Amino acid sequence: MKQVTRDIDPASARDLLERVPRACICFASEQGPQAQPIVLVWQDGRYLAGLSLDADRQPSSGQEVVLLIDEGIYYFDLRAIYIRGQVKQASAPRDAPSSRTWFEVVPLKTVAWDYGMFREVRDER
Amino acid sequence: MNVDDPAVLDVLRRSMVARIATLSRNGRPSINPLYFVAPHGHIWLGTSEWTLAARNAKADPRVSVLFQVERDASDHRVLRIRGRASVRTDQQAQRSYGFRAVRKYLLTPGGIRNHLTHIRQFPLRLHYGAQSAEKGQSCVIEVTPVEAEWLEL
Repeated sequence: MKQVTRDIDPASARDLLERVPRACICFASEQGPQAQPIVLVWQDGRYLAGLSLDADRQPSSGQEVVLLIDEGIYYFDLRAIYIRGQVKQASAPRDAPSSRTWFEVVPLKTVAWDYGMFREVRDER
Repeated sequence: MNVDDPAVLDVLRRSMVARIATLSRNGRPSINPLYFVAPHGHIWLGTSEWTLAARNAKADPRVSVLFQVERDASDHRVLRIRGRASVRTDQQAQRSYGFRAVRKYLLTPGGIRNHLTHIRQFPLRLHYGAQSAEKGQSCVIEVTPVEAEWLEL
């Protein structure tokens, strides 16, 4: 039995990490889920997230976060990389604005999808 | 800031993809990009009941949603709306969402062009939709805004 998937190898979406069309992180707080747009720098394989100094809440070191990089507005152009990981404090990357608080997201699980790349795969359920 | 502010309504009108942050029953975070429409002071995001976004919104109705005007590169503002979510599966909500979403995402020059360019993918898209329907019915995450604020990129 075949299944249709939109999932892709995250390595094939690395252009999203180089261009970073849109990026944000999410983490939990006592007030509920916190969504925050970020500046993402992918440098030497590290995911460096810069949060505005004005951000009302910031994740604490070791906290679980989800990092989302996505692009597209029309159906078959929608692509994304979704990274679940933990944050730790980091110094500002090279040539990056220092007027931000920088964190490194250490990935635990990474998935990616591309609605323009539907294909059949073997059903492994 | 009031969610009825004209600038807020303008971004909701021009934004195309919402990113909704949710928490699971165990407090684990997630954030997902979804299509949306904004009728009558609410935000309706289209998805299916089996998705993480819908399951989380059922478990914890507190949500935080980001919007930006993707087609205006000079606009660096991001709108964040915090609110409370409910998951609607009733026919009225689904029909109303579907009608509005088709007008917003398909029946536009960009939407038509995008679909014509990928016409060969249609059978696979239909198969994918049928698979999704097997896992659970489609639904609308209805967000009632509580607070709106501007963030800088």
